[in-house]
Amino acid sequence: MEYVYTILILSCVNVILASGFNLILGYGGLVSIAHPIFYAIGGYVSALVSMKLGVPPIFALVIGTMVAAVASIGLSLPSLRISGDYLVIASIGFQLGLVHILNNLELTGQAGGLSNIPSIIEVPGRALVFSLIMIAIAGLCVLVIRKLVNGDFGRAIIAMRDDEEAFSALGRNPIRLKVVIFAVGSGMAGFAGSLYAHFFLYLTPDDFGIFTSAALLTMVVVGGAATTWGPVVGAVLLTVLPEAIKFLDLPVSIMAPLQGVIFTLLVIFFLYARPQGLLGGARRGGGLEVWASRSAYRGPEGGET
Amino acid sequence: MTLDLIGQLAWTGFATATYYSLFAMAFALVLKVNRVWDFAQAGTMVFAYFALYVAYIELEWSLVPGLLVGLVVTVAVALMLERFGFDVFRRRNSSILTFFIFTIVFSQFAIYLAELVFGTEPKTLTPTLISPVFMVGKIAVSHWDLKAIAVTGSLTLALYIFMRHTREGERLVAVADNPDLAEAYGISRQRAYAVSMTISAVLLLGGIYLFGTKAALFPSTPLNRLLVYAVIATILAGIGNVFAAGVAAVLLSLLQAFSILVIGSKWQALLAYVLIFVTIIFFPRGVALPERLSGLRRPAGPSSSDDDEGAAGEGVPAAEPRKR
Repeated sequence: MEYVYTILILSCVNVILASGFNLILGYGGLVSIAHPIFYAIGGYVSALVSMKLGVPPIFALVIGTMVAAVASIGLSLPSLRISGDYLVIASIGFQLGLVHILNNLELTGQAGGLSNIPSIIEVPGRALVFSLIMIAIAGLCVLVIRKLVNGDFGRAIIAMRDDEEAFSALGRNPIRLKVVIFAVGSGMAGFAGSLYAHFFLYLTPDDFGIFTSAALLTMVVVGGAATTWGPVVGAVLLTVLPEAIKFLDLPVSIMAPLQGVIFTLLVIFFLYARPQGLLGGARRGGGLEVWASRSAYRGPEGGET
Repeated sequence: MTLDLIGQLAWTGFATATYYSLFAMAFALVLKVNRVWDFAQAGTMVFAYFALYVAYIELEWSLVPGLLVGLVVTVAVALMLERFGFDVFRRRNSSILTFFIFTIVFSQFAIYLAELVFGTEPKTLTPTLISPVFMVGKIAVSHWDLKAIAVTGSLTLALYIFMRHTREGERLVAVADNPDLAEAYGISRQRAYAVSMTISAVLLLGGIYLFGTKAALFPSTPLNRLLVYAVIATILAGIGNVFAAGVAAVLLSLLQAFSILVIGSKWQALLAYVLIFVTIIFFPRGVALPERLSGLRRPAGPSSSDDDEGAAGEGVPAAEPRKR
């Protein structure tokens, strides 16, 4: 049963991650592959303040979340001031750069990572209790996102998405809105990272590389970008599916790349066959093509052509 | 620090810049003509590399047959990307999100496929990476250095001649400038896109061959490192300036070579990632040269002042007239 609780907890962590990424990618229309890095920032900051400074894990969790949100502003603000295209490029450098730092900095344990991270709860049946807490937290996060996108904030996002120029002409600042979206989504990633660190008590830079980027993209695209429940379905599917593959009893050296091939093929398949994802559609809306009417791709922004 | 050390670093940096230059020109060309930030080129590099690896290491073929196999595979991958990827999404009026996701995920797919088939260990294209060295004064010059410079120089010259002195090259430029107008004049944009991808595939193959004969490659190296420099060089050169991207790649490589004097080797890789931010924040439209250095000063005349104002636009270097 310990194994089942672990899968449940991982699924909830992925739901929080995917929901935050969906806010950025699906609703905000911002492509960034750096989402795992905010996951890492949250986890590492939370772990380090509790290990080195003795901060109780519950407060360390808050600190990790806030630092991840603030760090995201450092990435999004300079990039978005130029163009949306540059956010992708900046995010590539940001992720690769921070993973490189994590792998080489003594403070973060270098490639070996951090271990013996203080646990956030110490009770009998820890895994069961934590899995119940995680289900509640993940549900709450999804409902918060739902409330956000269905309220004034969501209407502003839709207005910006449909016609950014008109949105600006009405005196609204699209850059500020995008930065806020990015910060909220990245803060959620940091929150997920902190929870992960204080349950599994171990962090390694390998958990935050391109594999995680591919997995997150798969969760959102397959589940349905710009829908509330799409990322939830995608996250649960993409957490359970690799476990199913494990029963094939393949060597570890084959397991990881096989999962990667499956994830990426799924994304490519859905981009072609069903860009709205499993839960998006004509009635529900959503999917990557919600952006198509506004930004049918004409070429790079600021190009000399 | 001695002059000999500086000279050696400069030479080594310049020689290493050869493959970066090819990657940068390939990236810049597709961005110019096809108007796509082709992050899938990292995936194309992976296919190119492992096609060469199979030919040279697994099958033990000689140079030319191996290169032919690599060429066929790389061009096929590039054309398939254009035909079944970019063209499909263009026809659907897909959003920029779709293009970005497709190109990045394709590269990730190529990396995982390579890891699945060939393992995660680093691979080289030759049994040994040691190249004979001779001294020119106090500077060590390897046979690889000369080969790399010759290959890159030849490919760059061929590209220059193609773009400037052939009808096909003129068609590429026309489509890059205005695809709709080009089609009105009977120029097929689909053909131009295909030609552009084919040329970029050739450049990528040349670059990855040089890389593979100098260093070992992990499947993730193209995405983690090689493509990053190509992107930075393209932005620094100003979008649309293919040859300037090649020059920018040389300068970046020299910068990395000299960085060893101030930072430890384990942090050198970080330089590229920092440069991305510096480039985006300070040079988002490329490095603008003063007009007198950009080669754009026109003879005085009634309309020249207006033309100069437009022509001295940002990011237009001396190496290339504006319309190219």
